[in-house]
Amino acid sequence: MFMKILKTMIKEEWRIHANIFGNLMFAFFPLLIGIGTFVVALFMPYLETILTVKQMLLLAHYLFLLIGVGIGAFGLFAREFMNRRFGQASLIAYSSRTLPVSERTIFFNFIIKDVIYYLMLWIIPIILGFVLATPFISINTISAIFACGTLILSFLIGLSIVFFLSTIYAHSSKILAALLLLAAIGTLVAMRYYIINITMLLPSYSMFYQPSLRKIIISLSLILLPSAISLIFLKVDYPEKKKQYQNNLNPLTDKLKFSKYSYYVAKDFLDMSRSEGGVGKIIFSFLFPIVLTWIFLYIFFEKIPTINIIMIFAIFLGIVSSSIYNMLTEFETFNSYMFLPVSVSTVIRSKITSYMLINIISLIILIITAIGTNQLIYFIPALCSFVTISLYSLAMTIYFMGLHPTILLYNAKIFSQYMLSVAPILFIFTIISIINPFVLLASPILLLPAIFIIKNSYKKWDSWEPLSF
Amino acid sequence: MKNVVEMNNLTKKFGDLVAVNNISISIGEGELFGLLGPNGSGKTTMIKMLTGQIKPTQGTVDVLGLDVLKNPVKVRELVGIIPEQESPPSFLTAEEYLEFVGKIRKIDNINEKSDQWFKMLDFEDQRKMLCRNLSRGTRQKLMVAQAFLHEPRLAFIDEPLINLDPIVQRTLKDFIQDYIKKGNTIFFCTHILEIAEDICTQIGIIDKGRLLHNGPIQELKDKSQNLEDFFIKLVKEEG
Repeated sequence: MFMKILKTMIKEEWRIHANIFGNLMFAFFPLLIGIGTFVVALFMPYLETILTVKQMLLLAHYLFLLIGVGIGAFGLFAREFMNRRFGQASLIAYSSRTLPVSERTIFFNFIIKDVIYYLMLWIIPIILGFVLATPFISINTISAIFACGTLILSFLIGLSIVFFLSTIYAHSSKILAALLLLAAIGTLVAMRYYIINITMLLPSYSMFYQPSLRKIIISLSLILLPSAISLIFLKVDYPEKKKQYQNNLNPLTDKLKFSKYSYYVAKDFLDMSRSEGGVGKIIFSFLFPIVLTWIFLYIFFEKIPTINIIMIFAIFLGIVSSSIYNMLTEFETFNSYMFLPVSVSTVIRSKITSYMLINIISLIILIITAIGTNQLIYFIPALCSFVTISLYSLAMTIYFMGLHPTILLYNAKIFSQYMLSVAPILFIFTIISIINPFVLLASPILLLPAIFIIKNSYKKWDSWEPLSF
Repeated sequence: MKNVVEMNNLTKKFGDLVAVNNISISIGEGELFGLLGPNGSGKTTMIKMLTGQIKPTQGTVDVLGLDVLKNPVKVRELVGIIPEQESPPSFLTAEEYLEFVGKIRKIDNINEKSDQWFKMLDFEDQRKMLCRNLSRGTRQKLMVAQAFLHEPRLAFIDEPLINLDPIVQRTLKDFIQDYIKKGNTIFFCTHILEIAEDICTQIGIIDKGRLLHNGPIQELKDKSQNLEDFFIKLVKEEG
């Protein structure tokens, strides 16, 4: 039964994407990721002037951990996670209503299916691209293959830890807050007195240098135990059928009167607060990775004087903040608006407004980190970089993917266009931030093409026939 | 009588599939036009083209004197639409949803109008529930309410009676007849032939994208022909 459901879910996921942009474009996606990684890996010898191979490996392990963290909030989204991916149309996701299969079983299959998809679409292609590049960059292929194994472990650890935390959150946000607070205090104290070493904190990474049975067991336990506990205590959120809600649309709209799209923005905020996970969505898909990145950057780059942490953080924050737009587009499809006097561009404009408002959180984080690290001198260039990267990548997301970023990203053609437009800018910003951060004071000039691209996107998406999933 | 809907050689293709094939129909003001057809015959595609939700592959459409291809949003501003699938946003309550539609349509006395609909369709006790927690029937009621909230002169209603209980069906049927008496126009897609026969003034029969019949219902009544027999015979012969 389990394998049958899993196989059908994998087929269904494939068809969702393949129906929209064709089998070939979807199948091409992992190939593209592999080629991209291969090309980037060829440049590794040049990167060695800034980072050692050991530092790069550490960076890669934490990056894979972060990717896992970013997609691990299954427990939190539960039913909605399936709903937004498959919609009401999925007979498999909803078969617990008509067939003798529990929702927990269906959801377990869904998680496994998603892990397989992420591994096939992202993780394995990245690893293969890297391994294939090793003969050209004088890195031992055997070591590279071993590193791939430990990188996969890092990804799975990140995924399972957040799955665990999000399951706790689904039961009680207070318990989670207390746990995180304790963990934060514990980590700070331990680091203050050098009880733990960040470079050896991640067992998958330390295993690469000092492999041992104990570390394999620790790594596997970190993956299997939290996942098993999460599955046992998984809270499949059944909506309270009879629950009545106060009318909050009007008061919220009044507060947002400054915007032409006040009622759309108010609706976005209500969507976020009332859907499964509520505020937890922002915490797990946005704040948690940001905080983790900050801790990592702070500890990792502190020892490299050439690298300005606040600048790197601002660039990272800019790119991560663009994920807020993706989240905002996932509560509904344009089908809810098709029969109303609303154009696609109006909905996109309203999402941009919501995006800007939520991004105030990112701005506050940037201010706090600048103050906290005594790097106020770099605050203005960091702010310029953050705003520019954030809006530029948003413009590209809107231009290439409109209101369907999480679906259309897996179209190989669209993905390559997006990456080719965003990656060089990120690279240039990173290099400039190392050479002279103050040059980035001029970065807002990039906002002009960003605005131009957004305006063109309105025309583009208004003339498109809405996609139906 | 002025025509409020004019379509000429309207065609829609999805790849190799011809969903609507070269159809020309005019609908005068005050008509209740019933578009009948088997499942997948092209009725919904036609409504979507007439209201600017999708573009025709070929042909022209004018609604209330406006070229739909050039003014899709303006057309949707003037008309009311009940879509085939009820899809209000999940996380607004029924009451908030009607307010949201009211804001989009710039309706002034929205609360008053919403109240009327909650009472008329008998779902006042569910107005504070999230749309996603409503039954399909109640969501359909909400779709009916949003379509007529701004009192449009012309409405496109796609299977409006589906999922509704007999009492509400009757209320809605009465409302539609009153609405027509006031000089408004309705484009009505349905499978329920008895209701079409009962209330429509003009009927069109469509199958596999082709228009098989278009004319006043009175013509059939004059010939003492039963709509159901006529429909089945026509679809079987032409199909």
